Amino acid sequence: MTRASQVRLQITLPMVLMSAGAWLLLALTPMRVIPVSHCSSELWGAGFSGATPGMLSFLKTYASFSAGWAVMLIAMMAPLLIVPMRHISDRSLARRRVRAILLFGASYAGVWTAAGLVLTMLAQQFRRSAPDSRLFLPCGIVFALLWQFSPAKQRCLNRVHVHADLTAFGWTADATAVRFGLLHGFWCCGSCWTLMLLPLLVSRGHVVVMAVVTLWLWAEQLESPTPSRWCWRAPRKAVRIAAFWTAMLWSSAIQRQTLTASWRTSQ
Amino acid sequence: MATYTRANAWNNGGTFANPDLLWYARGVKAMKQKASDLFDRNGWRFYAAIHGFDQGVWRQLGYWSPADKMATAADQKLFWLQCQHGSWYFLPWHRGYLLAFEAVVRAEIANLPGGPKDWTLPYWNYFKANENKLPPAFASPDWTDGTGDNPLFVKQRYGPGDDGNVFVPLDSVDLDAMGDSDFTGTASGGHVGFGGPNTGFMHPGAQNRFGGVENQPHNAVHGLVGGQNKLGLMSDPDTAGLDPIFWLHHANIDRLWEIWRQNPPSDVDPVDPKWTKGPASIGERKFSMPMPAGVPWDYTPGDMSDLGKLDYTYDDLSPSVVAEALDARLLRLGAGAATVEAAEGVTAVTSGQNVELVGENQGPVPLAGSEALTSVQLDKDVRQKVAASLSAAVAGISPEPDRVFLNLENIRGKAGAPVLGVYVKEPGGQEVRAGNIALFGLRKASLTDQEHAGQGLTFVLDITKIVDELHLNNVLDVDSLQVRIVPLNPVPEDAKITIGRVRIYREGR
Repeated sequence: MTRASQVRLQITLPMVLMSAGAWLLLALTPMRVIPVSHCSSELWGAGFSGATPGMLSFLKTYASFSAGWAVMLIAMMAPLLIVPMRHISDRSLARRRVRAILLFGASYAGVWTAAGLVLTMLAQQFRRSAPDSRLFLPCGIVFALLWQFSPAKQRCLNRVHVHADLTAFGWTADATAVRFGLLHGFWCCGSCWTLMLLPLLVSRGHVVVMAVVTLWLWAEQLESPTPSRWCWRAPRKAVRIAAFWTAMLWSSAIQRQTLTASWRTSQ
Repeated sequence: MATYTRANAWNNGGTFANPDLLWYARGVKAMKQKASDLFDRNGWRFYAAIHGFDQGVWRQLGYWSPADKMATAADQKLFWLQCQHGSWYFLPWHRGYLLAFEAVVRAEIANLPGGPKDWTLPYWNYFKANENKLPPAFASPDWTDGTGDNPLFVKQRYGPGDDGNVFVPLDSVDLDAMGDSDFTGTASGGHVGFGGPNTGFMHPGAQNRFGGVENQPHNAVHGLVGGQNKLGLMSDPDTAGLDPIFWLHHANIDRLWEIWRQNPPSDVDPVDPKWTKGPASIGERKFSMPMPAGVPWDYTPGDMSDLGKLDYTYDDLSPSVVAEALDARLLRLGAGAATVEAAEGVTAVTSGQNVELVGENQGPVPLAGSEALTSVQLDKDVRQKVAASLSAAVAGISPEPDRVFLNLENIRGKAGAPVLGVYVKEPGGQEVRAGNIALFGLRKASLTDQEHAGQGLTFVLDITKIVDELHLNNVLDVDSLQVRIVPLNPVPEDAKITIGRVRIYREGR
């Protein structure tokens, strides 16, 4: 392995491992981790209904929400951060790379945690007001599709591709890493929020919905920026990549099989 | 022996006495005369739109009007806007584009009375002595077959002085890329390779870099012919294919690729399936060209690698610049005979090595008027690492000294394709030219809803020799290096050109 590949792997591997660990946790104990399933109603009540459950209870609820949301976020978003983190690594002095990446990650997570709070409460409010629980997911999908068609969604997707300028020296190096995290988080929220709402709307099968949404988000970010307008946008590039490499693997497997068969015949 | 041999456009003085040029003009005329050449797959404007199309810019330059019959939506989707820039597909895509265009022109010529069946596209070798001027056949509106309607003449060619005098100033172009032994480069600040960095699955955005030969001479000649601050056809990728000289320029770039490949085992094309199989392997559009009668032809970079197999050659493939061998560099750095001898025959291949930031300037640098100045602050630890690597290599302790690269990142603006000279010096020292860059594609790369996401253009210049010199003069241990950027012509304020950041990287162990 080349030195450059090793450096790339230093970012890719931890992100993939963190994501895999979070998925494992979600798969094993989904009801204890996913915020909507255990604490959003408490959050709503504690924070906004005027009830006074006491500071300790509020903090416990909020901490529980944050921990659960963090696991969701790591599982779903960590693989999407590999490219911006490489951008940071390339533009930081080697001794400051880890620090800059952590600052970026923390500020990105901060934006998403704030967004998560709002989304969880939105989901909870929807669950309370909708007459039939079977309507939760279909309604969420219709809403996500509407956003999916909109020029605003494309504008956010385009901005996700923009890698902010960073500085290498002094406190501004930290400040620009934080700024990049905030900006990237903001546009990422803008792009993904309706899709992130979907797992929060279901009563069962959260992990399955999350997995589908994660695949969609990952595939969507492979697309190049395009002009913002009302249109149907689906991550076709990922499908094309999968189809191409499946065909390649298939043809090489057939070739190997043919070679083995002809070798056996010749023996 | 190949069936088709491309020859020098300057044969017979580059006039219509050169039959290649005369028949080229007649073939171009036939393509332009098609009932609707923007609709017809073998039409002149259709072929230009395969490289790039922007309705607004075409209209501004008088090449599109609402009365034009456009290509069908399916044809636009299959063929238009394919050009590959800032990518390792740059060379193979353009080779296929040339082959298809040439086949169409040849078919048109063969249909004309007395037209040869084996016509080939000539190349314009602007590096050859006295041949850096636009061949005369392109320079006059009059030609052998008529007055005022020369198909090879276009008004929107402004030249290096923006005054219509079209030539390639030899101090604005170079063949340094021919000395790069690696086809594939890195997109993280280090060397960009002869053919360009690996174009990965993800949209490159800020990672986008031009390969060596794409920056020089390719981009430079586009800007020098089209215009610096004026928007000539050759200055913009969306209009370049409309200018008949475009094809001769690209034939020369293609020839340089073939010359580069004459030096194996180091100068070889990638074998990575993501290159050989082309953009279809990364989920992008396949390469597809309309051949004569509009029949689509699909190809991959792997198909384009061997020019001989395509039944083509050039009349001149004489060796150009070769990579500086490691022993030559060590000798220059003052290494002893034993160290130099041990490095004999080794080419300085650095691909896959560690790339590390050495320093950067304060922030965006506006470029207006006749120059822009900035200072690149160097990190003490990393610059000492560079110096230590040079010293260790000279002493024979370490096998290879670092290479050093100057990056001009995220250049945005609205001009044509200005050529910029880039100079480096240590404070109080002598200024040395690091190289020339040309902002070909600047307008498009600055648009936020296009492929570059508004990230602009990024260029990489190899400043290893400059750093070696500083090391030899014991002045490498400085806190900063001065970088001066000098446009060929003063840049107007309204071009709004800014250089986002200037960085220096080391590449080594």
